[in-house]
Amino acid sequence: MPRVQFENITKRYGTIPVLQNLNLTVEEGEFLVLLGPSGCGKTTLLNLLAGLIETTDGRILIGERDVTDLDPRDRGLAMVFQSYALYPTKTVAGNLRFGLSAQKLDRADIEQRVAWAAKLLQIEPLLDRKPAHLSGGQRQRVAIGRALVKRSGVLLFDEPLSNLDAKLRTEMRLEIKKLHTELGQTIVYVTHDQIEAMTMATRIAVMNSGVIQQFGTPDDIYDEPANLFVARFIGSPAMNVFEAIAKGGPNGAISAVFDAIGTQLDLSGYRFAAAPADGKRLCIGLRPEHFGTDGPNGARHAAMFDLPIRHCEKAGSDATAYLEAGDQLVAMRIDPARARTLKSGDRLQASFPLDRIHVFDAQTGRRL
Amino acid sequence: MAPQIALTPALVVTLVGFAWAIGWTIYMSFTRSRRFPDYTIDPADWYSQYERLFGNDAWTTSLRNLIVLALGSALAIVFGFILAAMVEREKFGEGVFRTIFLYPLAVSLIVTGLVWRWMFNPSLGIEAFLRGLGWTSAQFNWLAAPDTAMYGIIIASIWHGMGFYMALMLAGLKSINTEIWSAARLDGVSLWKLYTEIIIPMMKFTFLTCAILLSLGVVKAYDIVVAMTNGGPGTSTWTPAYFAINAYSTRSNIGFASAAAVIMLLITLAIFLPLALVTAWHHRQREAAGR
Amino acid sequence: MSTEPATATMPVGLSGAGPVLRRRRGRIKGSSIAVFVFLCMCAAFVAIPLYVVIVTSFKPIEEVTLGRIFALPVHWTLTPWYKAWNTLCTGLSCDGIKVGFFNSLAILFPSLVLSIALASVTGYALALWNVRWAGTFLFVLFICAFVPFQIIMIPLIVLVANLGIYGTVWGIALVHAILAMPLLTLIFRNFYKDIPQELINAAIMDSGSFWQIFREIVLPMSANIMIVVLILMITTVWNDYLVGLTFGGISAAPMTVILANAVVTSRGEVIHNVNMAAALLTAIPPLVVYFALGRFFVQGITAGAIKG
Repeated sequence: MPRVQFENITKRYGTIPVLQNLNLTVEEGEFLVLLGPSGCGKTTLLNLLAGLIETTDGRILIGERDVTDLDPRDRGLAMVFQSYALYPTKTVAGNLRFGLSAQKLDRADIEQRVAWAAKLLQIEPLLDRKPAHLSGGQRQRVAIGRALVKRSGVLLFDEPLSNLDAKLRTEMRLEIKKLHTELGQTIVYVTHDQIEAMTMATRIAVMNSGVIQQFGTPDDIYDEPANLFVARFIGSPAMNVFEAIAKGGPNGAISAVFDAIGTQLDLSGYRFAAAPADGKRLCIGLRPEHFGTDGPNGARHAAMFDLPIRHCEKAGSDATAYLEAGDQLVAMRIDPARARTLKSGDRLQASFPLDRIHVFDAQTGRRL
Repeated sequence: MAPQIALTPALVVTLVGFAWAIGWTIYMSFTRSRRFPDYTIDPADWYSQYERLFGNDAWTTSLRNLIVLALGSALAIVFGFILAAMVEREKFGEGVFRTIFLYPLAVSLIVTGLVWRWMFNPSLGIEAFLRGLGWTSAQFNWLAAPDTAMYGIIIASIWHGMGFYMALMLAGLKSINTEIWSAARLDGVSLWKLYTEIIIPMMKFTFLTCAILLSLGVVKAYDIVVAMTNGGPGTSTWTPAYFAINAYSTRSNIGFASAAAVIMLLITLAIFLPLALVTAWHHRQREAAGR
Repeated sequence: MSTEPATATMPVGLSGAGPVLRRRRGRIKGSSIAVFVFLCMCAAFVAIPLYVVIVTSFKPIEEVTLGRIFALPVHWTLTPWYKAWNTLCTGLSCDGIKVGFFNSLAILFPSLVLSIALASVTGYALALWNVRWAGTFLFVLFICAFVPFQIIMIPLIVLVANLGIYGTVWGIALVHAILAMPLLTLIFRNFYKDIPQELINAAIMDSGSFWQIFREIVLPMSANIMIVVLILMITTVWNDYLVGLTFGGISAAPMTVILANAVVTSRGEVIHNVNMAAALLTAIPPLVVYFALGRFFVQGITAGAIKG
């Protein structure tokens, strides 16, 4: 299975730049997810790879081949489209066969591949139906089957699950991951759903405004977000971000003073890449599930606070308390059993464990 | 109550202008009315006008011409589709081409017929031009010979209608999901295969609509015949519409003209009914598929 | 650089794909050129007849008889136009085509008013008000839209004659309104169907009456469809021949009838440049409308075709 390389990719529409000097390498057999909000350029990058649009500058390599100037059909790719793009006047079998007709394989070969894909995706009983008579999930499978029969080394997905309901989405996530494990193709997958990214990717490229914000494994991205955008984009509910000011203390110890709640947070012991100067504006981040609730004698904490509850969200298996800190709402995961006993106005004590907080430069958004 | 009152004029128009009028004409076709309506029907001979009709050479010519015109004008649909497909792919100057192809629609069929009459004129039309170029045996005087006159009318019809069918086809093409095109590009199938196996089947309904509209237009063909040949040479370019008008205004025979008109109505119904059925079937199909 | 794929990293699917097409960035593909050329040829086919007519209409007689139809005039002259306007002979009189122009104008306005007023109110009533037989009526209208003119022509003559408006502008206008009613009603009804029923219901709750709602809410929202319908009707009425011929008599003959009489049925010497000028004069008003408002024109034509 080939690797895919983007070298200095620039794409402009007229004078409007969408991507600039983007570099990215997808290793052999990797499941790469391009994750980001609408308009971040992820679909543009995918279409550039597919050859459906032309680069303004830069090179794309698949394996050792420079494919930048090649037509889509010559790049050795297959793609699953957001709206499936099944040919409505052909049966499922016809759809699977159609893409192979240009490859000059003999009949037996084609039929064998169709049968293999149909079995793999459990669509054998549907082979004689037309797309209009299939459900959303079935169409999805046929679209994947159509891509698989081409036996290409690289497989592209353009937000394939966005048209499915939540339950089907969960099922299909597992299926696609299973396919990847079995077949081992290099996959480039575009989505705006961070759960899909976190559960399926070997590595994620988080994008915003045409720039890759961070590129790493799901764990890396989750545990050490490189900037505020990534920190807030990944994780549900989103990471709580507090504005604060750095305060230099004796012996170079640094602490942060929260704007909203006035508490002082002792930051000595935090592994800074670049320690902030006194007076620098900071953003402190903590994920809702990382608040400590076991009091001052528990895990090493950097600060304690005591805040009133605005409301609690209970969703069966988990619960989130929303606390008021000045104008800000702080989301905190709590035990569902405990959530049942709480009501608005109750005060909750929570601690900031030092090993779980993230400190960002308020101006640039970058991790410090 | 107000809506019902507001609908009265339309009801009156429909009842009088259409229902009563059609009934009256059908009735007249069974009578021997000539210049003025004669309401007596001879029960033994109620079909006499139809007998005369189908024994009339000009009428058989008209019916034949109807089919010839329909088949020939169908080229307008073929060209319309090809043009639409090309305009849709052509990024450069799409708007300009569309404007050019559609302007003949704004031109009256009389003017259309006259313009082409001049183009076919041997002394100042295309034949003169070709001879002027040195091709001295060039023959383009189609309107002068009974065998070829109808083809001249066909060319003028295609010239007039091509843009219209192009516009309809273009609308149909644009309604095709863009991802289908992308998928086909990735599949690498040839353009020919793509159009014949995917695009044209997807546009079945548009093609059908165009065919029906074309047929209905052909049944109504009158203006263009008057302008190009006025039915000539002889009666070789008569159409049923021309026949009916002629029967009334020149021969002053209401019964005869009515019979011709009734046949025209029957032909129209024969064309229209499939459309109605297909539309109903199509709608039921879509509802069943839950789209 | 090389187009030979390295076999070690070759994806399986490409092994039988045949020669690889390399395209240079920005190079225009051969097929694009062929498409463009074909389109240009077809555009020429469509444009040339008009060009010929225009060019001939500006030539003096001597140049016309030379027969070089594609050549531009050596001596540009407006005489044919003047003659066409003022002295064109139709076999009965030689008053020029200006008579027809003014007749056509006189026919146009009442036709537009009658047909649009009738169709818009009917479409409004059928779309937004609860009328039990609306569905049936719409189906009947659908059928009426296809009915050939000849089947109702003679009774309409009888009707118009009995109303005393045969041979007048009003007779023609009435017939146009009748003929256009089914199609226009369907167009209006489909357009009004898109107005949310809640809007009308709210207006009814505000004690709006049928006519009030039409005047104050629906009509102001109808700008788009009115333009489309206007263009459709202007073109239909101005370019009509048969209705004008049948119901206009001598005094209310529209431009197309006079033109046809002058060129087709009159005897005597055929003066081509004058005839072509006359044809152009007849064709220009709708063409102006087309070039000025082409976008709406396309909408109008396709609206007329995709009825219901």
